[in-house]
Amino acid sequence: MRRLLWLALLIPVPASAHLVSTRFGEFYAGMLHPVTTLGHLVPWLAVGLLAGLQHSALARKVLLLFPLAVLAGTWMGSELNTAAWVGIVNQSSLLILGLLVVLARPLPPAVFSGVVMIHGLSHGLGNGATDLSGNGLLLYVLGVTTAAYLLVTLLTASSHQLVTRQSWGTVAIRAGGSWIAAVGLIYLTFTLLAAP
Amino acid sequence: MNKPTALQPATLLTFLLLTLCAGQAQAHAETGVAGGLISGFLHPLLGLDHLVAMVAVGLWGAQLQKPAIWLLPITFPLLMAMGAVLGLFGVPVPGIEVGIALSALILGLMVLFSVRPPLVVAAVIVGFFAIFHGHAHGTELPDAANPLAYGVGFVVSTGLLHLAGIVLGVLTLWPAGVRAVKGLGGCITALGVYFSVASFGWL
Repeated sequence: MRRLLWLALLIPVPASAHLVSTRFGEFYAGMLHPVTTLGHLVPWLAVGLLAGLQHSALARKVLLLFPLAVLAGTWMGSELNTAAWVGIVNQSSLLILGLLVVLARPLPPAVFSGVVMIHGLSHGLGNGATDLSGNGLLLYVLGVTTAAYLLVTLLTASSHQLVTRQSWGTVAIRAGGSWIAAVGLIYLTFTLLAAP
Repeated sequence: MNKPTALQPATLLTFLLLTLCAGQAQAHAETGVAGGLISGFLHPLLGLDHLVAMVAVGLWGAQLQKPAIWLLPITFPLLMAMGAVLGLFGVPVPGIEVGIALSALILGLMVLFSVRPPLVVAAVIVGFFAIFHGHAHGTELPDAANPLAYGVGFVVSTGLLHLAGIVLGVLTLWPAGVRAVKGLGGCITALGVYFSVASFGWL
């Protein structure tokens, strides 16, 4: 019976020890913002998938271009009032990037760079935090940029490996693109219909 | 007859301690992103008529092999999105439930008899029925806790059901597997007959 008593003490229950009303610091707030917002996360996944479908040299460009564009956009979005068109561009990016992944065509370097930078900039603007300044803003912007770098690097590397090493890799990436494009078409229509 | 013995103090204490190990109530309805994602993801899974039709698309694609094996599961979500757009605009598509039920019946028959039409015809058949499924999802989207998450949920769920069909379709690599896949087609056809009869209100 004493053993049973000790066993009863081992039954775990959730600690609920984290404070939900406090923040984890501006850097982590910046990192978590795009990762926990599907409207940013899914198009960023699409950027990684699209990059994975390109030649290695071009795919590597995205590792630099996308985070830099996000950095510039987030900084500008935090300093300026974000225009309404930014939301529409960000919502369109699901459809545009998804369709580009479905087509799986090698893009000319200038077109690919332009697509990556425009979407990086607009999503950066969408991630702007106007209530921050000084070091807090710097940490937040760096957090968003780090998330952009990590996500796109992981996705680009994974999808490129899949495409080059597996016979079914391109098919799987294209199917993923069709899912993203489908979600994009539905969400863009819904947003435009709901707009006043 | 033995007399019932009194509980030992240690036993009593154990039971008392166990009553303190309270589980979570989970009594709240999910809201926000989680709510949208869960409801969207479960929509095709909990509707058996959606589920069997999606699996049938994957099975048929696997029977038809390349390029249908990837073309059909890519066609379906894109045309399903078109159907959802029609639903969002409030464009009435006649006989939604009948269309969904017939999709299970027709696609089940395709798998059962391993029908091999030209690729374009297969894509048209799959795309046509995808519109009915999409319309049903689209009309429910504005009421979702989070419309984007709902859309992501039901598209991913649909895609995974296609994938399940394709994985089951790998069985066609073996002679016995060919018969097994046709048997699955027969099951889907039988369910399609039931759904069709029910959708016409004859049950």
